[in-house]
Amino acid sequence: MSEWWDYGLADLLLFSPRVYYRLFEIMNTTWWLVVVSALVAGVIAAGLALRHGFRGNRVILVLLALVWAWCGYGFLWQYYRPINWAIPYLLPGFALQVVLFAIFAARPLPLRFGWRGDFSSYVGLTLVAFALIAFPFIGLIEGRDLLQAELFGSAADPTALGTLGFVLLSRGTWRWALLPVPLLWCVISAGTLWVMDQQVAFVMLAAVWVTVFCGWLDLKNGVTTKRLTEAEIKDPSS
Amino acid sequence: MSDFDRRKFLKSTGAVAALGGLGVFGLGTNRHAFAQSDAATDQPEVIQKTIPSTGETIPAVGLGSWITFNVGNDIELRKQCADVMSAFFRSGGRMIDSSPMYGSAQDVIGYGLDALGAHKKVFSTDKVWTSGDGASQIKETSERWKVQQFDLLQVHNLLGINENLPLLFRMKDAGQLRYVGVTTSHGRRTEDLIALMKNERLDFVQVTYNPVDRKVEDYLLPLAYDRGIAVIINRPFRGGSLPERLEGEPLPEFARELEVKSWAQLILKYLISHPAVTCPIPATTKPAHAMENMAAATGALPDEKMREQIAAVIGVLV
Repeated sequence: MSEWWDYGLADLLLFSPRVYYRLFEIMNTTWWLVVVSALVAGVIAAGLALRHGFRGNRVILVLLALVWAWCGYGFLWQYYRPINWAIPYLLPGFALQVVLFAIFAARPLPLRFGWRGDFSSYVGLTLVAFALIAFPFIGLIEGRDLLQAELFGSAADPTALGTLGFVLLSRGTWRWALLPVPLLWCVISAGTLWVMDQQVAFVMLAAVWVTVFCGWLDLKNGVTTKRLTEAEIKDPSS
Repeated sequence: MSDFDRRKFLKSTGAVAALGGLGVFGLGTNRHAFAQSDAATDQPEVIQKTIPSTGETIPAVGLGSWITFNVGNDIELRKQCADVMSAFFRSGGRMIDSSPMYGSAQDVIGYGLDALGAHKKVFSTDKVWTSGDGASQIKETSERWKVQQFDLLQVHNLLGINENLPLLFRMKDAGQLRYVGVTTSHGRRTEDLIALMKNERLDFVQVTYNPVDRKVEDYLLPLAYDRGIAVIINRPFRGGSLPERLEGEPLPEFARELEVKSWAQLILKYLISHPAVTCPIPATTKPAHAMENMAAATGALPDEKMREQIAAVIGVLV
């Protein structure tokens, strides 16, 4: 008889694109001050990550913890959960991500953000810039209202994409602990967008692929395994 | 199905069509009789179909809620759904179908029933969809609908059938439920469904059927007819894709006598003219479409020959 694994992806589509994008419109207009603040937090974190000298690591981690907490509570719990019964099963992942950022921020800095000039850094920068600047305007290209823009820090997709970029801009032995949740979200979201016939699904999948590829490259090049020396902390280009 | 006379069955299909516009008629047994509605609605001539297990009649078109009614807490969209329900009831409709799987659809139906004061008018149809505690899910479902008792509860996609079907029968025996059914979709789990139809005292089954997905015509619909099981049709428009693909195509000349105004109406007439079919449940977000769908349950219906023509034309165009 029937079991859960009998269901295909299309069977689990529960809502229309119209309803899905209205969620962002309502959230953006109701919580506009928090939404703008979360976006600004992302911009500040990006500025700190690209600043010379691996400084501001704790601030970046705290800001990312805050935006993930807001995204989980504000978007997922308040708005997405009523139309998607799967959200309560995904929320613990967001909570875990917040806890991980908090732990990284509290510990004696096993993770440092900064520009290394390698391929992963370029990909990381591209993902962060795309999530902060370009993603909100994708809806405009597809004919949606600007009020329905998905903004980093509040909407889950750009927040996950940007976080992948931040992680690629970092180095440290435990940075990969921060990847599973945003990667998983990108895969799930790609599936949802795909069954809704939304082309942006391919962007989410491409981000997953390129992040995993960069992770492999970094592992090969020792970015994640080699401990930072005091000299490297003082001068990142050394 | 050994005792089923297919020729007699197809003949009766023709009889349905020939008598479609004439008012009350039967098909050899009372349990499959059609009747015309005398309800005070905008469209008084809505065709009624009989639920074989009791003889009760219901309008031949219902309202689905998959995707369309899952609008969350968006008050503007909730009002639009209530407008759809209002148009549906005013056009003579009664059966509304939902599921715990459909997100906020049950809450939205409850909101609409409250707004319209339509708790007594609706033929409430929902499902149990869990491999866990079915009883508590049903309790939650009735709280969302804001109804004391459901007319029909079905085991959704046969999930947890061994626990949930006995639960529904116990509820029916205790007078807490009027009808029991099971559902499948996309033509899946046909063998399991057939076994249940043969061995259990089901009042309703729900299956996928439309002019393109016709497999149920071979065995399931005749079996339901023979066993006196009412049939609800899901995905009558293939999730909306059939009318979309047919948009802009002229309606066939041979269907002129049916006085249909759209492909959606032609598809619904195709479905409800089948003698085993009780009620297709198209979903919509537009009140005008709800009225249009209900209008398909009025006037003449196609005969067997025309049904084949409809299926052939649509099969070619999509």
